[in-house]
Amino acid sequence: MKMKSGTIGQVPTINQKKSRGSKSRFTLLTVLMLVVLIVYSLSLFALFFYGFITAFKCGKVGTLEYRLEYYPGNLYGLPKTWYWNFGFVFKNFVVEGTDPMGVGAPVKVGMVQMFGNSILYSLGCSFCNTFVMCLTAYGCARFPYKFSKIIHTTVIIVMIVPIVGNAPAELEMAIRFGLYNQIWGMWIMRANFLGMYFLVFYDIFKSLPTAYTEAAKIDGAGNWAILFRVIFPLIANTFLTVLLITFITSWNDYQIPFLYLPSYPTVAYGLFTVVNSKIKGMETTPMRLAAAIIMLIPILIVFLCTQKRLLGNLTVGGVKG
Amino acid sequence: MAIRKKRKGLQNNRNDLIFYCIIMAWPVLQFAVFYIGVNFNSILIAFQDIDIVTNSYSWTAKHFVNGFEKMLSPTQLTMAKNSILAYLITICTSIPLGLLFSYYIYKAMPGAGIFRVILFMPSIVSSIIMVSMFRFFTTDAFPAMMRDFFDITMKAPLDDKSTRFGTVMFYNIWVGFGTAVLMYSNKMSTIDPAISEAASIEGAKGFSEFWYITLPLVFPTLSIFLITGMAGLFTNQINLFSFYGVSAPESVQTFGYWLFREAKRATKDGLAGYSELSAIGLLLTFIAVPLTLGMRMLIEKLGPSED
Repeated sequence: MKMKSGTIGQVPTINQKKSRGSKSRFTLLTVLMLVVLIVYSLSLFALFFYGFITAFKCGKVGTLEYRLEYYPGNLYGLPKTWYWNFGFVFKNFVVEGTDPMGVGAPVKVGMVQMFGNSILYSLGCSFCNTFVMCLTAYGCARFPYKFSKIIHTTVIIVMIVPIVGNAPAELEMAIRFGLYNQIWGMWIMRANFLGMYFLVFYDIFKSLPTAYTEAAKIDGAGNWAILFRVIFPLIANTFLTVLLITFITSWNDYQIPFLYLPSYPTVAYGLFTVVNSKIKGMETTPMRLAAAIIMLIPILIVFLCTQKRLLGNLTVGGVKG
Repeated sequence: MAIRKKRKGLQNNRNDLIFYCIIMAWPVLQFAVFYIGVNFNSILIAFQDIDIVTNSYSWTAKHFVNGFEKMLSPTQLTMAKNSILAYLITICTSIPLGLLFSYYIYKAMPGAGIFRVILFMPSIVSSIIMVSMFRFFTTDAFPAMMRDFFDITMKAPLDDKSTRFGTVMFYNIWVGFGTAVLMYSNKMSTIDPAISEAASIEGAKGFSEFWYITLPLVFPTLSIFLITGMAGLFTNQINLFSFYGVSAPESVQTFGYWLFREAKRATKDGLAGYSELSAIGLLLTFIAVPLTLGMRMLIEKLGPSED
């Protein structure tokens, strides 16, 4: 007997979806909502379109082409001549990171290294975070010790009890333990079980029938074999979805690298620096938006390849403890 | 036979306990250090007067006194006003709009599938990319368009004192709309179709179905938005760091933005600056905790039941 691998929530079938639709689909309200959704979608596309076309305008400040093609000549229209700014940006998108030892002169970090940092940071943080959350949820859901209940309640309490302004203490702690300014240090700091996805994993483990583990136990499988050979394949789908979401979140995050990784700027951190400072040659809007487009492409590819998985039902339940 | 079975059961229990201890060891250690330890450290730092020259410290309560005085200064009162306004504007606009439009997606109205994909876009694109495009559009293109099409000369909305907070809030609602719609519609899609069909037979259609059937069933998700929104009252940065970097005008700053910026500054200036920040953080926590717990109690008392 085969069992479907775990999904977050239940995906309704097309027939179920159709059955929800009422017969009188086109009321005044639904037409109005359709119009609003179209306008909203167009506004999103318009912004991306603006970013895209501006990235192809002349961005060399002080030149006649710049005056004619961008400022003040053509601030919102299509480019009269399409300029390939990406080569220049790739070469000149350089961010000053502090020396990792904190003693020497600042180090120049180029785009290739920033992409490398982003991959290391995002993959490591997302994997450590998802794995620890999944493992803890498994322990809590499948082993009915009192401590499991304490952990479950702790997650809920942490979610609803706001702690404000503990960043300085966290920074101080990271410095004290030698985790500050280290990508692996960030992996350790993110390897926690707190957050909404713990509850998602917990619910899935709770709903898995015990028959599989009982059968495996009768066949002589130990706890580790049950976990990695029976349970993980069953929840692989959910695990990958959560991993993907946390990967995208880490990839897009620039504030944590900004605060904790001054020597290892990621692409997001680099873009933040580019749009908020005057790096020579990169201080114009077309160049800055070209840098934004370069950063956007990998995540767009990930999204297009995985949109079905990402859009699979991700629901948030209640917080009743 | 029974003794052997009992012995095997005990052996299994012991194995389970060892396995449980091994898998829980890291999460518990991590939590002890990076949650309990960090927050305890935050309390200690708030009471420390650090001398960066001698690298020594003495105990003091002056940071709380200074912090409290600072919190009553006009700048910080503006931050408090902005933080509260941001929360209120978000719940008053995002929640009703999100619920209404998620019902559209849930009911599989025309284009629902494609709208789901489009609405997801802002959540996967980095805030720094979205903000950069929005910022340059509103700064460069928008005033030029107003001038050329409507003959209106105007300052860039993010530069004009009277419009900058409104523009930042508009951006937050505009971007957050998609996420809210998706979350609610995903929750709605878990509602058993038999319930809506039964309601339809009973005569509940359209708005009454939404109000009496759908809304109570998605209330747990709605309550999460309300509670986490309140919990984030003093940590919400409303994307100001992406908009303005370290130099956001005082008139738009929130506590979330200010605390993050000052933490970065303190790292540069040495550990001495952490004490007052931690003290202000603790004072704000004392305000935020009862507010959040109060909100939770209110929701549990007044909110509809899924049953």
